[in-house]
Amino acid sequence: MKFVLLTGIALVMLLVPVQSSIATVDNLTEAIPVVITAPSLNIPDIPRSNLRAMFAMRKHKWPDGTMVKVFVYRDDDPLHEKFSKQILNVFPYQLRQAWDRQVYSGLGQYPEEVASSEEMLSRIANTPGAIGYVKMNEVNKNVRVLEIR
Amino acid sequence: MCACLKYARQRLRTLVFLAAACCPAIVQAVELMDGKLQLHGFVSQGIVFTSNNNFFGKTDDKVGTDFRELGVNFSLRPHPDIQVAAQLLSLKAGESNDGEVRIDYALLDWTALSGEWGRGGVRLGRVKNPFGFYNKTRDVAFTRPSIILPQSIYFDRTRNLALSSDGVEFYIERYSENGNWFLNLVSGWPQASDRSTEVTFLGRNQPGHFNSNLTHLLQGIYETVDGRYRFGLTSVWLEIEYDSTPASGLDGGRVDFEPLIFSAQYNAEKWSLTGEYAFRHSKFDHFPALPRNAFTGVSYYLQGIYRIQPKTELLLRYDVLHTDRDDKYGRAFEERSGRPAFSRYAKDWTLGLKYSVNPNFMLRAEYHRVTGTAWLTPMDNPDPAQQQRRWDMIMLLGSFRF
Repeated sequence: MKFVLLTGIALVMLLVPVQSSIATVDNLTEAIPVVITAPSLNIPDIPRSNLRAMFAMRKHKWPDGTMVKVFVYRDDDPLHEKFSKQILNVFPYQLRQAWDRQVYSGLGQYPEEVASSEEMLSRIANTPGAIGYVKMNEVNKNVRVLEIR
Repeated sequence: MCACLKYARQRLRTLVFLAAACCPAIVQAVELMDGKLQLHGFVSQGIVFTSNNNFFGKTDDKVGTDFRELGVNFSLRPHPDIQVAAQLLSLKAGESNDGEVRIDYALLDWTALSGEWGRGGVRLGRVKNPFGFYNKTRDVAFTRPSIILPQSIYFDRTRNLALSSDGVEFYIERYSENGNWFLNLVSGWPQASDRSTEVTFLGRNQPGHFNSNLTHLLQGIYETVDGRYRFGLTSVWLEIEYDSTPASGLDGGRVDFEPLIFSAQYNAEKWSLTGEYAFRHSKFDHFPALPRNAFTGVSYYLQGIYRIQPKTELLLRYDVLHTDRDDKYGRAFEERSGRPAFSRYAKDWTLGLKYSVNPNFMLRAEYHRVTGTAWLTPMDNPDPAQQQRRWDMIMLLGSFRF
């Protein structure tokens, strides 16, 4: 009896990591958010602290002087959540609070919300100073990927 | 004529609120000029019921609806370093705020320096007062953790005085992988001439009125890179001068108010814990008819928020106020003045629930179990003999924004 139980546990322990690693391989190509900018911006990388300040709507200028224009998905969009947590290392509710606090005291503005990855890509491609994010496999030649240092 | 206009205005407000509440999908944020110009606003309507005493109107064993907040604002960023913004605000809160429309802020923000390190600049005009974690946007229900803010620090009876100052704000922000620093200094003149401020400091409305002298607010906030931990320190040097008329018999005088506030917050994915502690030093001086009087009050609260699911939040808070730390429970005050000891302290247990119907519309319900009346305004409670030490309050609020 004990043997059956132990074998069962061992099997489960063996199987679970295999399954989750399969899922990870799938996610690798699909669901990893990458930061993209307008192609006209000639900026290869950015410190994470500055990226965070941009998405908190506190940093309004690129190093070359262009105005920053931020695009995001809805607060409850899975990619927005992933981007906030994995790339910015904050929770979506913290971003929302930061935006609200600034908009209603006259210090900042809301980012622009887009509804689909097509809209995100076309707005980033056509807006000077634009910054946003898409899934890694959605990146096309009309936008630039911004490295984080 | 005047009454007629007032009635029409009230009707209009009710209509706007109903329209806003019913069709949130129709009204959307307005963005013009490629998003450089944004228009936003909010409408909140509260319902208050108390077992004893009155809060935001006549609420003792009655359902009060005298609690309404309306605001519209615009912001324009024509250049990365320049923003112009203004907000109109109408507050109705019992006897202490009559719903009059006024300018909440109107400012020009110039980021003079910026780089990878952060930014620094100056704001000119009517700017919001940086005071604790919540003061800057205290009128906007969406930015508050509860229907009313902890009254021991964010007194609603002196809300006008706390809101904004006419003057200048200097700011420096530093972003780094060791965390973010924010430093703000406001120097200016807050709004002190309303009746509610006068009643709070002098006990009743007199023929004269208060004017503010040059006032300073200094605030520093540090947060870890992920915003999990936030710490703040605010120091205020407020001076208001009483401008009497011969009829008042007070012959002028001055009130110095110098609070010092420590703030701390921890943010996890599902819950947040916030605490603030304040020493509030007050001094009444140069009133020929009043004795010179200086005392220090203490205020603190501890607040927990639990996000049950993305749309629902639960709040538990314990909020304490002692008007005079050398006479915490008002016993000496009662002997001296004959007025109740419990008017010198207040302890408030709050249980609250927030439900977001959609990102633009939310509903809140709150229960307050209070001992003491120190933060109630005499304007809603004119007779001290009618006040009760123990009282409960139930509040409901609907708020819409665009």
